[in-house]
Amino acid sequence: MADETPEPDGGVDASLEREDARDRDGDTGGGTEGATAADVGGGIPPYRSNGGASEFSGEDLVIGYPSADEPVVDDESISVAPGEVTALVGPNGSGKSTLLKGLADQLSLDGGTVLIDGEEVHSFETKELARRLGLLSQENVAPDTITVEKLVEHGRYPHRGFFDGLTDEDRAAVDRAIDLAGVDHLRGRDVGSLSGGQKQLVWIAMVLAQETDVLLLDEPTTFLDMHHQLEVMEIVETLREASDKTVVVVLHDLQQAARLADKVVALQDGAVQGRGSPEAVVTEELLADVFEIEAEVVPTERGPQITPLRPLHDD
Amino acid sequence: MASESASATEPLSRRRRLTDWLSGSLWTVVFGSLAVVAVGGLVQVSFGAYSMTLVQAWQAVFNPDVVFNLQAWNAFLFGGQMPEMNQRSLVVWNIRLPRVAVAALVGMNLAVSGAIFQAVTRNELASPFILGVSSGAGLMILLVLVVFSGVTLVIPLVVTEITLGISSLLPVIAALGGIVAFLVVYAIAWKNGTSPVRLVLAGVIVGTVFSSLQTGLFFFADDIGVVQSAIAWTTGSLTGVDWEQVRMALPWTLVALFLALVSARQLNVLLLGEDTASSLGMNVEKVRFALSGVAVLAAAASIAVAGIVGFVGLIVPHMVRNIVGSDYRKLVVGCLFAGPALMVAADVGARLGLSILLGSDGQMPVGIVTGLLGGPYFLYLMRKQERMGEI
Repeated sequence: MADETPEPDGGVDASLEREDARDRDGDTGGGTEGATAADVGGGIPPYRSNGGASEFSGEDLVIGYPSADEPVVDDESISVAPGEVTALVGPNGSGKSTLLKGLADQLSLDGGTVLIDGEEVHSFETKELARRLGLLSQENVAPDTITVEKLVEHGRYPHRGFFDGLTDEDRAAVDRAIDLAGVDHLRGRDVGSLSGGQKQLVWIAMVLAQETDVLLLDEPTTFLDMHHQLEVMEIVETLREASDKTVVVVLHDLQQAARLADKVVALQDGAVQGRGSPEAVVTEELLADVFEIEAEVVPTERGPQITPLRPLHDD
Repeated sequence: MASESASATEPLSRRRRLTDWLSGSLWTVVFGSLAVVAVGGLVQVSFGAYSMTLVQAWQAVFNPDVVFNLQAWNAFLFGGQMPEMNQRSLVVWNIRLPRVAVAALVGMNLAVSGAIFQAVTRNELASPFILGVSSGAGLMILLVLVVFSGVTLVIPLVVTEITLGISSLLPVIAALGGIVAFLVVYAIAWKNGTSPVRLVLAGVIVGTVFSSLQTGLFFFADDIGVVQSAIAWTTGSLTGVDWEQVRMALPWTLVALFLALVSARQLNVLLLGEDTASSLGMNVEKVRFALSGVAVLAAAASIAVAGIVGFVGLIVPHMVRNIVGSDYRKLVVGCLFAGPALMVAADVGARLGLSILLGSDGQMPVGIVTGLLGGPYFLYLMRKQERMGEI
């Protein structure tokens, strides 16, 4: 668990992680109990929730780019209990996306390990990993003339051998994903004819079609209009309620993170500045320290309500 | 290509229901291209130095003594003993038809190779020769023709030994030169993996260096025959090809095109970008290298029989994409037909154009005609289409 990491100053006490936000979602059944048990257990519990969600953690991660000397993320740990939604938040350049790519084994780690249910991610064969862990990148490109259905079918890539056609199971998974993402009405449309928001939902459907236990989403709501932001958030909420996927989502919008996530991890300059329930992390102090803004935070039943007031300057 | 072709419309509606994979637009490409190949082939077998009427030519083509003669096919495809046949059949089957066949093979190879490279490099301007294949082959051609023309190779065998003039190995050497250049480009571009941009840049640079060397070698060519031969090779020519060239290219073509067809889905996933492909569990570097290898094999097979025919591999994939969309399962199939259509049509011009225009019996390299024929059509498409060239 993340508790070994010394907590940087200005952050929120790590112990807050224990009294997590689960109580606002008390009716979600078995996954909830399991998650708490896993948290208390410390190491890597053998627990798997009934939905097959996975314990997902990164330990002592050092992640950088080959072109830079200094690692972007230096010796940080992150742990997500099965079936939980964790939001990574932080200002621009804080290393959120880098951390996510490291967790997804898309950037090679300079140090540390990433574990899914105690198995090291790096040891997986690439397709095996893609059956366990899905990643939606921030920017995606697809040919204009591909149909929505064909694009979502690509999500079945890791489940298919070189010569395999689509099986009934693949088709069922594609149907489920399209249904869950709410893009059934777009099914036959060309991706090039869709709006940005519709495209994003389709990409989410593609990742969902992978049917992984762990799902990593990199800024899925950025650049979307409010309607589509809420659509995306609804999908993530559905995933949380079904409690069979462990989700890590990078969010630019702190308000969304506060509302959506079971846990929030706040990053600044590649270091974790706070982690825990939204109520514990999203505080006026943290907003001042990490985001350098003065803001008013009012607790509501939909999580903390943030009203940004003005930017703070160091000098 | 021939989307206007009337022959395509009728079977189209009937067959569309058979399978959703083979869409109507793909059938348009397939039947349109077949029509072009058939017409081009008919023209090719009918006209030439040995004159015969259209009817005589067709009779020779469908001469049952040849078409249903296993010995004849054995002679064509495996180099066996040629059976007796009348003179017209001999001219048609032994001189004119193999040229059409080679043109078709070259067209297939180049079009599919270009389509693969456009996906691998995610670059609309990619052609089979983008990773240095043409310049490597061209340099080797010049080296063989100018510098090592007198060299003979002696290959010792157990019983006897084979002596070969190096010029007779020119097709193989040219193809190998292309493959080696590709490997050099890949090695240069490689640094903890590679990327489309690195590959294309390395290809351009290596290509420039090799082309300079190649052009420099022209200065050492001491007679006009060598220069003409070098130009024919480096612009692509089908003059004088026969069944031997078919035999040389066919096996590699079959291998490369089979691999291209079964890899179509990998190409489709590559089009989603490296990040997505990788997070879907594709080993992007491995797949990219393997697919490039397939494309280079196809390009090398065409170089070995026809030299460096430009342009086909660049424009045919765009033409087909324009009609069937960017799904590589359709695109590769479309290229298999549209490539031959352009090559066969261009070769009609290359073989007969000069005699029609100037009355001379000379032939020009087909590579010149592919540009003259394909270029304007491509520009016409560009004018017509708003979104052209987007992968």
